[in-house]
Amino acid sequence: MIEIKNISKWFGDFQVLADVDETINKGKAVVICGPSGSGKSTLLRCVNGLEPFQKGEVLVDGISVGDPKTNLYKLREKIGMVFQRFELYPHMTAVENIMLAPMKVRGWSKDQARAKADELLKRVDMTERTESYPANLSGGQQQRIAIARSLAMEPSYMMFDEPTSALDPEMIKEVLEVMIELAKAGMTMLCVTHEMGFAKEVADEIIFMDEGRIVERGTYDNFFNNPQTDRAKTFLSQILD
Amino acid sequence: MMFDVIVRNFSYLMGGLWITFQLSFFALLGGIGLGMLVGLGRLSKNPWIYYPTTIYVNLLRNIPLILVIFWFYFVMPVISGKSMDPFIAAVIAFVVFEATYFGEIFRAGYQTISKDLIAASYSTGMSYWQTSRYILIPIAFKRMMPSLITQAIVTFQDTSLAFVIGLPELVRRSSIVDNMEVRSIELYGFAALVYFIVCYIGSQISLYYENQARKVNLI
Amino acid sequence: MNLAYEFDWSVLWRDPYGLMLIKGLGMTIFLGSCAWIIAMVVGILVGTLRITKYRTLRFAGTFYVEFFRNIPLLVQMFFWFYAAPMLFGETLSRQINRLDYLAIYVSILGLGLYTASRIAEHLRAGFASIGQDQYQAVLSTGLSQLQMYRYVIIPYALRLAIPPITAEFLTVFKNTSIVMTIGVAELTFQSYQIDADTFHGLEATTGAMLIYLALGMTIVKFMDVIEKKYKIQGLVGR
Repeated sequence: MIEIKNISKWFGDFQVLADVDETINKGKAVVICGPSGSGKSTLLRCVNGLEPFQKGEVLVDGISVGDPKTNLYKLREKIGMVFQRFELYPHMTAVENIMLAPMKVRGWSKDQARAKADELLKRVDMTERTESYPANLSGGQQQRIAIARSLAMEPSYMMFDEPTSALDPEMIKEVLEVMIELAKAGMTMLCVTHEMGFAKEVADEIIFMDEGRIVERGTYDNFFNNPQTDRAKTFLSQILD
Repeated sequence: MMFDVIVRNFSYLMGGLWITFQLSFFALLGGIGLGMLVGLGRLSKNPWIYYPTTIYVNLLRNIPLILVIFWFYFVMPVISGKSMDPFIAAVIAFVVFEATYFGEIFRAGYQTISKDLIAASYSTGMSYWQTSRYILIPIAFKRMMPSLITQAIVTFQDTSLAFVIGLPELVRRSSIVDNMEVRSIELYGFAALVYFIVCYIGSQISLYYENQARKVNLI
Repeated sequence: MNLAYEFDWSVLWRDPYGLMLIKGLGMTIFLGSCAWIIAMVVGILVGTLRITKYRTLRFAGTFYVEFFRNIPLLVQMFFWFYAAPMLFGETLSRQINRLDYLAIYVSILGLGLYTASRIAEHLRAGFASIGQDQYQAVLSTGLSQLQMYRYVIIPYALRLAIPPITAEFLTVFKNTSIVMTIGVAELTFQSYQIDADTFHGLEATTGAMLIYLALGMTIVKFMDVIEKKYKIQGLVGR
């Protein structure tokens, strides 16, 4: 369970997050949406300790992320993260990307890591071109490899930061399919995305953020068909165009 | 102008060149290795690492290499109590000096790597040192290859300064022969030619890497 | 740690050693400044050669730069000092070698020509960043080739090349230390001399380091002033 307890964050004088409070139970898929600059990405990075926050607390399975004594490296093994620009290591092949962390962090042998990588590649439907370098792969292929890379550490939670925003439309579907399969298999997920079709299919809850605050939350139906706040209404009308 | 002086002393002079290569090898090994760390240090958020590293780099940028060589040559006996092997003093001086230049090259290389790539590595549970070792450094190394080679050529030339502490590298040996036979034109011309050939080849290699990188558009 | 060595920091100021360092500094500044003047004149000339229409001139410029950048400065110095006089035939070379300040002349010339090659290279990079359109725009106002280069292109490229050239200014003073190998009494030479006399080379060289540091910081401040004054507004700078 991830508990985000009233966190606030400032970049200098500018407040990026304000009293954000949310609990994500095991097995749930939560979608975060909102206009750009609303703090969605920052929120994700506060959860796995990539960004510090000044007020509040984040607990992952009871461990406090903000506590200086916490071993963040160990914590991050539990939380996988997928980025908008895929961020595959350009100097390694697709398989090597996936194998690196299990070998270096968990001490797996090359064969063990290879076996795991093959299993994951099958899961994300990437069985060919596994020895290719990222530069030779399409965006959709790269992103699926990135997802496999995160899954290699067998995380309990997965976070997605606008995973399809940098993709050409034809490739969005293949990535979303992987994410949907993950959610249906019971992975606890936190997704920042504009893909409402995805939200409709798997989201247990939708959070709408604006200017660093959670403005509205609810199930897909509630949010979509019955938005309460003006800002939510404006946002929805914009993305539906 | 008769080149027989070169022919007669060829093996002696080549022995000097061999020492030059050895000096360069260790200087580069240490300089590049230390440079990788210096580059990291210059980007560190920890003030205990950033400030000393920055002071070190800026200090050595103002001091001539010859003086650095002398300084280590004088300091080592004070610390170790016995007289110093000039080869070791020279290597240490070169490593400490060249690492500042390699450090800045690596720093520039690290800065071309997107923050999110590092974040992606951390997100898989890798530590700072693992990320540096498997991601940051290899990528920077590949990207900065042309500059690294250029600086390696500079280092190769700089080893000639070990002359001043009597190290029998190529230039020193040339001057020893010159003292005996006074054929300065041939001798120093020959030394110049040798350096020219090695360095020119090196710069062509650097250009090759530059063009390769441009073709592949190494991200 | 062996401290049987007794430090004697007074070598830095007591007679005659303190004065030696100051005199050395004076020589360093003198050499660097003279060499710099030569470097700028020759460097701008050679740099311009490399962008002219004529293949031979361009080749000459490139050859000049490649020659000086692929041979260590030390070897160059030795060549100019020991070998070059011999190129002049019996009588002339004997006269040259008898010159009182031969080492100083050679130092300034050698350092100047070397630094010129580096300035030429920076200039070439500056030229390379001036777009073709600029040339055409100037020519279309009726200026001749020569006028174009003289009044527009060269000054423009010079100003673009100012940051690396000011860095070169600092480098030339550091490079003056090379000439200690041909006996010129600049700062590094003096610190070595103090060691030869007193065996306290550590203190002497540390003192020399501090002096170079002070010199460097002064030059950097000076460089900053120049850069600010000649910076081309609106272009990506530091």
